[in-house]
Amino acid sequence: MIKNWFKLISLIAVTMTGALLIYGTHDMPAWGDPNSPANSHVSPRYILEATQKTATPNIVSAVLADYRSYDTLGESAVIFTASISCLFLLRRIRGRKEGEGKI
Amino acid sequence: MLEYILAKYNFWIYVILMMIGLYAMMGKRNLVKKLIGMNIFQTSIILFFVSIGVKAGDATVPILKGDGHGHGEHLIQVADYLNPLPHVLMLTAIVVSIATTGVALATLILIYKRYNTLEEDEIMAIRKDASSYKTQR
Amino acid sequence: MSDQLPAFIIIAPLLGAFLTPVIGWRYRHLCRPWALMILAVPLYAAGGALLQVIESGPFGYNLGGWAPPWGIEYRIDHLSGLMLVLIAAIGLLAAISAKPGITMDIRGKEANFYTLLLLQITGLLGIVITGDLFNIFVFLEISSLSGYGLIAHGEDGAPMATFNYIIIGTIGASFYLLGVGYLYMATGSLNIADLATILPNLYHSKVILVGFAFFTTGVAIKMGLFPLHTWMPDAYTTAPNPVSALIAPLMTKVAAYLMIRIMFTLFQPDFAISVVPVATILGWMSVVAIIVGGIKALAQTDIKRMVTYIMIAEVGYIVMGISVMNRPGLTGAILHIVNDACMIFCLFLIIGAISYKGHGREIYHFQNLNKKMPWTMAAFVITALSMCGIPPACGFFSKWYLILGTIAAKQWVFAITLLASSLINAILFFRIIEKAYLAPLDSGAHSHDHDHEEEIIARDEAPASLLIPILITTAIIIILGPFSGKIIDLVIQHAVPATF
Repeated sequence: MIKNWFKLISLIAVTMTGALLIYGTHDMPAWGDPNSPANSHVSPRYILEATQKTATPNIVSAVLADYRSYDTLGESAVIFTASISCLFLLRRIRGRKEGEGKI
Repeated sequence: MLEYILAKYNFWIYVILMMIGLYAMMGKRNLVKKLIGMNIFQTSIILFFVSIGVKAGDATVPILKGDGHGHGEHLIQVADYLNPLPHVLMLTAIVVSIATTGVALATLILIYKRYNTLEEDEIMAIRKDASSYKTQR
Repeated sequence: MSDQLPAFIIIAPLLGAFLTPVIGWRYRHLCRPWALMILAVPLYAAGGALLQVIESGPFGYNLGGWAPPWGIEYRIDHLSGLMLVLIAAIGLLAAISAKPGITMDIRGKEANFYTLLLLQITGLLGIVITGDLFNIFVFLEISSLSGYGLIAHGEDGAPMATFNYIIIGTIGASFYLLGVGYLYMATGSLNIADLATILPNLYHSKVILVGFAFFTTGVAIKMGLFPLHTWMPDAYTTAPNPVSALIAPLMTKVAAYLMIRIMFTLFQPDFAISVVPVATILGWMSVVAIIVGGIKALAQTDIKRMVTYIMIAEVGYIVMGISVMNRPGLTGAILHIVNDACMIFCLFLIIGAISYKGHGREIYHFQNLNKKMPWTMAAFVITALSMCGIPPACGFFSKWYLILGTIAAKQWVFAITLLASSLINAILFFRIIEKAYLAPLDSGAHSHDHDHEEEIIARDEAPASLLIPILITTAIIIILGPFSGKIIDLVIQHAVPATF
């Protein structure tokens, strides 16, 4: 009974989200439009300038490691955080009996 | 009508994937299934972002032709290359999604050690017993 | 040097976090002084940045020298300067106070703990300082992931609470990312200042509407606004005490900052009033949050869980201040972000001190605690008075502005809710204070007139590393009150949009 009630609520929430997404899709620029705002505001400059400014033919690398390198620093910090979190949770401390530490 | 649907089929697929993931995250009672739902959900967002950067026609991967030092390059046309920015963003988002999955799996190990099950209903039952034991004490 | 000052706010704790495991490898006892030293840098730099903003207005800092819409920039204005100082100060105090909690719950893992603590503070500072929407997501994830790790190490039941938090928190962060995607799709930019100039022409695009909806939902999940709060009480109750003292006051406040940023900087204020009725919806959600949070808090006997439910009500206050969409309301909301962070931080520190001394967290455990821990209980009383909104303490002033805001918006239900909530807070705290100060001694036979007979209950005060942060925070709570006018003059009035 409670189980079904729970599933019903999540179904309603999912349907609402899906409806919102479909509603938003109508005003989207056509798929693959080279003149859509996303393709014409900021990104052309990356394509045009990347070779001269960063000497990298791969534009994705140029943006990843140069224009938006701060994001990449954050990204490496995310991996570091996750590894330290796992270590923090799963490491057993020597000299501490099993079950003594609170899991 | 059919043309309209086909023109944006990437976005429909992303909406469907996202709804599957979201339902699994909220409606499923097995914790591993929830985690798998989370991965589907994040993958759908990656699909969405990559779809933004697509350019129809003969646009190719954003790696410039030529050796990168000004030799052998012809005039760079913006329409010849895909939008690189969504790809960059999604590289970061993939890493974030992996990291989240890792931490979630670590907590699942702790949960399994403590309760010997990964079914949410059974865990709730065990926790209820434990708290009633605590109040009796 | 001073040109590069903003960079130090992030770089210092981030590099410090990378080096902490290296130091802890051999010299575990050096981790704490190292973390404290590292955390002093962002506090100094944030203070410098705030002073610079007060003197010469908002400024930016281009990372890597790339101009803003193409590269990433830091954008420090009055609001983010204030938040930076708040986060850095509470982070430092939390690191100072963490020592007793570590010896209790986390012994042997100091290096990992301080690494995650530094990363948590880095993430929170990074969210506030940056002027780039996607960068906010990256730092949101740094702070969330370190939070998951820290919370899961708590008492029995913490991993389960953390798993729920991970699932719901990921939904929140992903919704935020989707919002970024929708805005990027419609505008092609990720820079907040750039977007703010492009967006007004696109307000009737459905893509923007959906993006805004996802932004607000995602941030509301991170904030713990009422129907999306379900992860919060469990996660913060089961977390280790030093962890809940660090994360509970800051995470919700940073999410509230993000909401203000999105509604007032990224979008024009009238977007949330006229284009979509988000302000009205948020207002009524906050009414429910305040009422439900208060009632749920009344039902708790565990004081830590009670405080988490009070937090839900306090989040409601902030959202209410945002939703009334006028100058006093938003002033109150920003002031309440600062005040509430200090008050909740102080409450969690006091709970940490009480648990450290081996007392339980149930209300009946507070009996005669004023004799055992007079300083801690004095701090508790002051914080409690501030939570109820008694004038000299800071809680009164933010509530005053919030009520002025609701009256200016002619939302009488909101005003009544605020007043009722103060009453609920009064009941909540006075039943504890009554237990601590006025309950008869256990033995009951002694007369209360003779001083030397009261000494029967030995004084057993919290250790200095916990007591000093408690007293500092209490002093801040008292000082913030009379100085709130000055804070509003110098900082907050510039953070409120000029159209109000």
